[in-house]
Amino acid sequence: MKTVLTIIKKEFARFFKDTRLWITALILPGLLIFALYNIMGSIIESEVEKGADETCTAYIVNMPDSQSAAYSAIFDIKDDYTNQTAEDALKDGKLDLIIVFPTDAGKIQIKYNSAETKSQTAYALAVAMVANYDIVDLADEQSVARTILSTVVPMVLLMLLFSGCMAVAPESIAGEKERGTIATLLVTPVKRSHIAVGKIAALSAIALLSGLSSALGMLLSLPKLAGSVGGGISFAMYGFGDYAAVLGVILSTVLILVAVISIVSAYAKSVKEASGLVVPIMILVMLCGVFSMFAGTVASIGLYFIPVFNSALVISNVLSGAVNTAGIAITVCMNVAFAAVLVFVLTQMFKSERIMFNK
Amino acid sequence: MEAILQVKNLNKTFKLSRKQRKLEGGAAYKRAVDDLSFTAYKGEIFGLLGPNGAGKTTTLRMLATLIKPDSGDAVIDGASIVADPYGVRSKIGFLTSELKLEDFFTPNYLYDFFSKLYNVPEETATARKNKMFSKFGIDKFAEVKVANLSTGMKQKLSLVISLVNDPDFIIFDEPTNGLDVLTAKTVTDYLVEMRGEGKTIILSTHIFSLIEKLCDRVGVIIDGRLVALDTLANLTAEKNLEDKFFDLYKSVKGEMQ
Repeated sequence: MKTVLTIIKKEFARFFKDTRLWITALILPGLLIFALYNIMGSIIESEVEKGADETCTAYIVNMPDSQSAAYSAIFDIKDDYTNQTAEDALKDGKLDLIIVFPTDAGKIQIKYNSAETKSQTAYALAVAMVANYDIVDLADEQSVARTILSTVVPMVLLMLLFSGCMAVAPESIAGEKERGTIATLLVTPVKRSHIAVGKIAALSAIALLSGLSSALGMLLSLPKLAGSVGGGISFAMYGFGDYAAVLGVILSTVLILVAVISIVSAYAKSVKEASGLVVPIMILVMLCGVFSMFAGTVASIGLYFIPVFNSALVISNVLSGAVNTAGIAITVCMNVAFAAVLVFVLTQMFKSERIMFNK
Repeated sequence: MEAILQVKNLNKTFKLSRKQRKLEGGAAYKRAVDDLSFTAYKGEIFGLLGPNGAGKTTTLRMLATLIKPDSGDAVIDGASIVADPYGVRSKIGFLTSELKLEDFFTPNYLYDFFSKLYNVPEETATARKNKMFSKFGIDKFAEVKVANLSTGMKQKLSLVISLVNDPDFIIFDEPTNGLDVLTAKTVTDYLVEMRGEGKTIILSTHIFSLIEKLCDRVGVIIDGRLVALDTLANLTAEKNLEDKFFDLYKSVKGEMQ
């Protein structure tokens, strides 16, 4: 136990005493995500405002007098076009819509440009007008926000955690192998399992901090991003239990990610090779996030036995407001058990001269 | 004389890469160490002499438990390298240029780190550190990162750190390789001093003068096989070590190309 602590302390010292390293792994991710999401929010906001400010322009042919007032109220009606110039203007995005009323009992023709957002809006408005519909969206803001969060967050979170692990694990294992410092450790009477446990514990803690930094950047920029698309996102939507469940699942997931990347790093001859070998695993992890969007809350209990994928599922469930206690329990247990197996594998790799000294 | 190391029928083969196979004439495996047996006694400096690629380093790495023998065994101070590698590791000090120290840390930090890994009590470790650091002039650089140390200073630090557990059995692979004359002398002087304290040292080298200066007994390895084993006095009774070695080499390999 004492040697495990010594190894953990050394890994921490390596990380926290290296200003450059902790700035790039802890400060930058959060800062970048915060800046990026804020810029994105501003752009979306200005786009939305642009659309909301100006009324859509329309060129209307054969407008019945009885409808004139109603259409004028919604569209900015332009008269200075002919049928031909109006179509050109529509294609160029200068005009948003053309409506042609039939002279006899035919159909009303609506021409729009699907490449232009404003033209699409104008089209929807016109359809509602023509059909005489009154469209009401009954979804309350919170449930919209929950749905958005539950589809987007699991994948983004997994990616952030993964890059947190990538920031430290290859350097600490493949790097030590590459520089020949791991051999120095291996001639000491320290048990290989202690080296594996110590490294994974320390790296997980650091990766978690890095993930936390990214998450913080994301959370802090959420109001800006959410405000731009209609708002409704607030942290009060979720209770203490929800946050605890997410945190537990994240912890167990980081253990797995660090262990997997450590194993790849132990196999690789250099940090560079490790970063290359990790790419397929990163894609798998991303897919876990993507598929969790489709599995939704009706996922069968069997899916909670798949490591990492189960984490994405649980996070998605919790965020959408459908907490599945059995699923959470299975997920955490499965992930911890799987991480233990991986630690065992890493220990065996540390014992293998073919893997540790393959230059 | 009390035996401290007994090497019994040690064998090690390496798989060759495709490119190497062509160079070695098609064989898929290379026998690096071939049925090696010898004994080292307490308080002596035992030298393994041989050309490059003879299997010296492989033998020492097996003794240090970094790699496992295919067959055979070696017992160091009662601990078997096969059955009790952890026991062996705590009894020995192993120094080779292959074992690097992390550039990022200072000598002070690394010494404490390895002392803890060897479970050396803190007071003993501190006293030992002060003594060794001042002996090798590391005290002035104790807080300088390894990356900023000179090659000689790095070697000295590696030596000091390989001895944090004050072992009675010390394995040195090419102890003076890459060292300037001053640092080399510091190292060889210290080896003699350790022998004076009753410690056993086994070293490998291809430098005849080093063997003549330091070793009590010598094993000559060619192509993984022990072709001679005797005291330095007996080996050099008729002619000097260099001529004796070339005689042995000719008898094993035929005329040199």
